[in-house]
Amino acid sequence: MAGSALPVVRHTLRRSRVGMAGWSVGLIAASLLYLPIYPSMGATGDLEAVVSSLPSELVTTLGFASISTGAGYAQATLFGLLGFVLLTIAAVGWGAAAIGGEEESGALELTLAHGVTRLQVALEAALALALRLAAVCGMLLVTVLVLNGPSQLGLTPSHVAAGTVALYLLSLLSGLAAVAAGAGTGSRTGSVAAGAGIAVLGYAFNALGHQAEATRWLRHFSPYTWAFDPAPLANGFGNGAWGGMAVILGLCGVLVLVAAVGLSRRDIR
Amino acid sequence: MEDALELRDLTKVYGSLTALDRVSLSVPPGSVVGVIGPNGAGKSTTMRLILGLIRPSGGTAVVLGTEAWRSGPSLRRRVGYLPGDLKLDGGATGRDTLRYFGLISGPVDERFRNELVERLEFDPSRRVRTLSKGNKQKLGLVQALMHRPELLVLDEPTSGLDPLMQREFLALVREAKAAGQAVFLSSHVISEVQHCADHVAVIRQGHLVRSARVAELRDEAPRSVRLELDAPLTAGQAEALRQAGLAFRAADDPPGPLRPGDAVTVVEGQVSGSPVALLGVLSRLGLVDVVIEEPDLEQAVLGLYGQAAPVAEGGHHGR
Repeated sequence: MAGSALPVVRHTLRRSRVGMAGWSVGLIAASLLYLPIYPSMGATGDLEAVVSSLPSELVTTLGFASISTGAGYAQATLFGLLGFVLLTIAAVGWGAAAIGGEEESGALELTLAHGVTRLQVALEAALALALRLAAVCGMLLVTVLVLNGPSQLGLTPSHVAAGTVALYLLSLLSGLAAVAAGAGTGSRTGSVAAGAGIAVLGYAFNALGHQAEATRWLRHFSPYTWAFDPAPLANGFGNGAWGGMAVILGLCGVLVLVAAVGLSRRDIR
Repeated sequence: MEDALELRDLTKVYGSLTALDRVSLSVPPGSVVGVIGPNGAGKSTTMRLILGLIRPSGGTAVVLGTEAWRSGPSLRRRVGYLPGDLKLDGGATGRDTLRYFGLISGPVDERFRNELVERLEFDPSRRVRTLSKGNKQKLGLVQALMHRPELLVLDEPTSGLDPLMQREFLALVREAKAAGQAVFLSSHVISEVQHCADHVAVIRQGHLVRSARVAELRDEAPRSVRLELDAPLTAGQAEALRQAGLAFRAADDPPGPLRPGDAVTVVEGQVSGSPVALLGVLSRLGLVDVVIEEPDLEQAVLGLYGQAAPVAEGGHHGR
């Protein structure tokens, strides 16, 4: 039966070619929008002048504290903002479509009536999501590396890789939350809510946690903080980045488990 | 020989609603069993239980010797399923769809798959969302049949098919039966299954209300009889007709409307079972015309739909 391994993954990837190309183009466009203007914005100190005129709480909330450095600029504009938003939307969209969407449309029934186990379908849905996100993040990594020199960002390639991995895991977490919710409930709306909820709460907890000492504890519960607080674009995998990534990866594993168990135990709608 | 499908007291309860109540029946290899019933009777629930998509609240569905809910993927590779509410990925082409289902079902003989596509006149190059209901149904049928499964579970298989394609489908079912495959199919009208099914199970509100061979049903089904006579019916003749099994209005009822020609009396009634006994009586009447229609299975089944009490014991087919 060579050539028939991972049928759901293969079919899903085949059906997502257009989507993957679209999200890649989106991330390349976002990179081209922000990174090339760094020399005239961040590096000249103009932007820093504007930032320093803002209340310091707002600056840290927005993640603009080190915006005058190449790593800080790329983090504040691309990795921590537009790239994060785009990848989260892609991940949640794919994650919600995988099981919740398929079940709500009625298409999952026919797949499960064939020679697959539910465990297999859940695991393959998670793997297909991880692979698609990896492909799109790979495009982002290449784009940033290409623009690094011309845009005078001065980023260390391995640090770009670390930042990309952090962003990848962060979006994967939201996507897997959507997969798990879909596997548990069979609802597309529920899947989107779960995935988007993780992303929005993570971002909000990080932002609020930066605003005051009293709300600082919120950051302990923010995947966004875990991924980006160690500033992987500036420090690579060091400075606690590994730890944060490991926690996110662990949660991803838990969500895959939840998805597998959730789909296995219930009636298909 | 072991049954391809055996339902034992199969029950499915959703909250306070009993969708299926202790239904038992069996489908031996090489036989075709049709389950009929009005919408919402429990036909689709039965089929989803057979595929292990939902878990029985009671009883079991034994498919090819294995309990459906606990079965693994190897069992479902030996089953072909057409859902009643067929939903497919609209963006994929028919070819993509068949390739995908080919990967996750039993080994598919490509020659046979192509033959099915041709016989059903299905165009696999088009995207699913551009297909009409009938063409989507053809795609559903091809994916159910293409791996020559030992058991076919087809929910409303002819829905959306034009008469020509319905005929082709019936031919495919007969071929499957001849090849030893078991077929379990559903319809809300018996006319769709009576030409291919050996046995019919009638379900209504989750209960199996009748389980019989098609021939049996045909024997019992009422046939409409219409007699035109050249003279009024005498009391003796009326009695003779009743003795021969004809149920009709009382003899002193006003006769049917007068029509041009010789007929002065029209007798309309129904005979259940064989009309042969009637023929002897008819030969002694002054007949102008006589019409004995085909047995009306639809009528027989509609009678069952209205029947309140379920059969005490689950029907057993094909023994």
